[in-house]
Amino acid sequence: MKPLNLLKHEIDKCVRCGTCRSTCPTTKVLGVETASPRGRVSLVSAYSSGEIGLSETYLKHLRECTLCGACRTNCPNGVDTVSIFASARAEAVEKQGAPLAASLAFRGLRDPGGIVGMGLKLARRLQGLLFKDASAGAGLVSRFSLPLVGNGRLIPPLAGTFFLDLPEVRAYESSKGAPGEAGKPRVAFYAGCGVNYLMPWVGTKSVELIRRAGAVVSVPGGQACCGMPAYAMGDLAAAREMARKNLEALESSGADLIATSCATCGHGLKSIMPELLSDDPGLKLRAEKVASRVRDISELLLNDLGFRGAGGGSGASTVVTYHDPCHLGRAQGLREAPRELIKMGRGTVLKEMKNPCLCCGLGGGLMYTNYELSMEIAGKKAENIKKSGADVVATACPGCIIQLKDGLHRAGVQTEVKHVVELL
Amino acid sequence: MLTNVVKHGLERIVGEANCSFSKEELLCYSYDATNTLHQPDAVVFPSGPEEVSLVLKMANSEGFPVVPRGAGTGFSGGSLPVGGGVVLSFERMRNILEIDTENMVAIVEPGVVTWDLQQAVEKLGLFYPPDPSSLKFSTIGGNIAECAGGPRAVKYGVTRDYVLGLEAVLPTGEIINTGVRTAKGVVGYDLTRLLVGSEGTLGVVTKAVLKLLPLPETTTTMLALFPDLRDAARATSAIIRARIIPSTLEIMDSVSIKCVEGFAKTGLPEAEALLLIEVDGHKAAVETEAEAVRRVCLENGAGEFRTASDRNEVKDLWKARRAVSAALYKARPGKINEDIVVPRSRIPDLVDGLRGISERHGVLIASFGHAGDGNIHVNIMHDRKSQAEAALAAAEDVFRLAVGLGGTISGEHGVGSAKSRYLDMELKPDAIAAMKRIKEAFDPKGILNPGKIFPGPGPQKRAPAGAGYAESK
Repeated sequence: MKPLNLLKHEIDKCVRCGTCRSTCPTTKVLGVETASPRGRVSLVSAYSSGEIGLSETYLKHLRECTLCGACRTNCPNGVDTVSIFASARAEAVEKQGAPLAASLAFRGLRDPGGIVGMGLKLARRLQGLLFKDASAGAGLVSRFSLPLVGNGRLIPPLAGTFFLDLPEVRAYESSKGAPGEAGKPRVAFYAGCGVNYLMPWVGTKSVELIRRAGAVVSVPGGQACCGMPAYAMGDLAAAREMARKNLEALESSGADLIATSCATCGHGLKSIMPELLSDDPGLKLRAEKVASRVRDISELLLNDLGFRGAGGGSGASTVVTYHDPCHLGRAQGLREAPRELIKMGRGTVLKEMKNPCLCCGLGGGLMYTNYELSMEIAGKKAENIKKSGADVVATACPGCIIQLKDGLHRAGVQTEVKHVVELL
Repeated sequence: MLTNVVKHGLERIVGEANCSFSKEELLCYSYDATNTLHQPDAVVFPSGPEEVSLVLKMANSEGFPVVPRGAGTGFSGGSLPVGGGVVLSFERMRNILEIDTENMVAIVEPGVVTWDLQQAVEKLGLFYPPDPSSLKFSTIGGNIAECAGGPRAVKYGVTRDYVLGLEAVLPTGEIINTGVRTAKGVVGYDLTRLLVGSEGTLGVVTKAVLKLLPLPETTTTMLALFPDLRDAARATSAIIRARIIPSTLEIMDSVSIKCVEGFAKTGLPEAEALLLIEVDGHKAAVETEAEAVRRVCLENGAGEFRTASDRNEVKDLWKARRAVSAALYKARPGKINEDIVVPRSRIPDLVDGLRGISERHGVLIASFGHAGDGNIHVNIMHDRKSQAEAALAAAEDVFRLAVGLGGTISGEHGVGSAKSRYLDMELKPDAIAAMKRIKEAFDPKGILNPGKIFPGPGPQKRAPAGAGYAESK
């Protein structure tokens, strides 16, 4: 990963045409230049040249970005805004240290069996005291105003048993090397935090689908958080350590391919892991090798395993709209595969919403640094979902699922939120 | 620099949350699409005409410049605070107040993004035609101030043709209403037309009454490729001669095509020139006209002719077209972007003239734009360090060429601070003097957007094009 002082050329590529104002979710909500990619690039430029320091105003505007990448995709000059903002955040953390709550969390997420895992298990028992059920299966609403949580915020309940602790998943740990269907690859499943702590059924369903498609699945032990939250907040030390752990866990799995049901984890493992480890040529080479084997569940099923659906629609049809996670559509270029899966679902009809690629507002740590802004963006998304008239909004990222549920709940929209694999 | 009295006064007028003096915020309001930087002393976000009025009254009594700003995406420096002072940003005033479908009128605040208005009225079967390339991010207020044009101008005219009336604040603080919200109106001087295109020097628009049209039933988008730029230019004249008025008749030369292809990846094939042509209206008429366009293009040397088959293809073609201006920086780091206009019939002469200028000064010239109405964006691409002088000399020659062919030095970008030194190449001294008297009558103290349109005293020096932050310090 390039430090900020090596990105001067990239920063200077911005000619301040303002095209990015039309694509940025925060500009859409706040309207002002300081909340636009052009404004942020100008601020980083001024910071790099010593014109301004690490002031609160600078950091506030820098952290308002969701790192969704819409500006980069639409920039006529191809300015790599995401790298500029990520490096600027990293430099800020390097000079000032990470915010305490975040740094503690990241330290824990390096090892799912460690302190965070134990803390979360305790939290699971206590969550009934603090939260009440919002509506059937939607999530929990805090009973009181809580620090870091706030009042009335929809929190996903922690899973009864975490994915990596499920007995059947533990059994998969040893299944490496078992033969699959002739010509079908051996697949290692990477869970990620969202699937592990909050939505184990997405993991179970994914594993089931991979097996149904004829491959042999293992769930390698020792996997850590993908590092994307730490990377987004600028905590590169934490992100690097996670990258190293995952590299070892995934390498030693010996699998042909590595699957994940989380768009963010997929992007993290494919692109950010090698970038984080690029300082060490040996590690970088190994990371690139592993990265080349990583697949999102949708591309794995369709392209690698030739999955052709569960077969047999039940008469009644469910209208499904699809939300493109930034880390799948823009970052991995996967727009069609998840839609194909939806079309294969039982009795599902795909109906596009307006601007399906608009960020849900969670990304880049915005949910933690500016929850209100993050929810305003989610509100725009909720409006588009509502207007689509769909019964279900499907997506391919646990982070987006959490955010969409919260945003829809706030907007009083009844649409159900599901992971694409749940439709199959 | 503003005194503390002025700062507190501004805070009282718009509220502390809606005004800023911090270095970081000021930086973000110091540039526009010319990529030159002039830092203001304050940024103020008014919510209505009363607040604008109070700010302007204070500017008169305390003596500081006020510069209105929409999205900051202009190409002539119209929204740059060249002498410091207060930037009035209309980013908070972005409501569409009314769409009157029966009378086909829309009433909007100045901060509404043009594209958002178009989307809103098109849902109701109506049409707001002005479409500057920046339409997805520039605002109605800025479009009015600069009298923005766009590809559709060849058939539908420019922003001024759609402004029926305005609510504006005069530089001395009075809030006035101009024009009408009816189809006709001749009572008094036409202050609406005076304000449109006045580059924010005569008044600050706080509300606009805009004329709408019925949305055309259908549009056909076509692409013609030519082995020579001159052939494309000839085809342009031939289409108009055939009594067809396309809704769009855009030209791109090979440099523009190459630069934009890397970004949009629309598969624009390698060609020396292309025409992007649209015809719109009733289905039967569109079919006949499209066929005629095809015939004329092939007769005039088009090597290939295509009709876009679906909406995505059309979207991609326009994405490419709108990205040209910014993408040209890939060819050379320095760009002087001029938007001259010549009578349509003289475009082939213009093409020849530009070739000569390019050779004479050793700079790369990329041309694209609205061939249908003779408005060509001439981009002098150069190395900022070694070729700055040559590029400026070339720009002057381009203006001379345009005026010599019976044209104008700016079709839709405005004069602003970028072109004021060339004003007298086109206008006679008496005309400039008359304009200055108008400015003085409206703004006796010269507080509203000073340093624009009219050259200041002393020798005029043009800022180097695309001078980024580092260079301007």
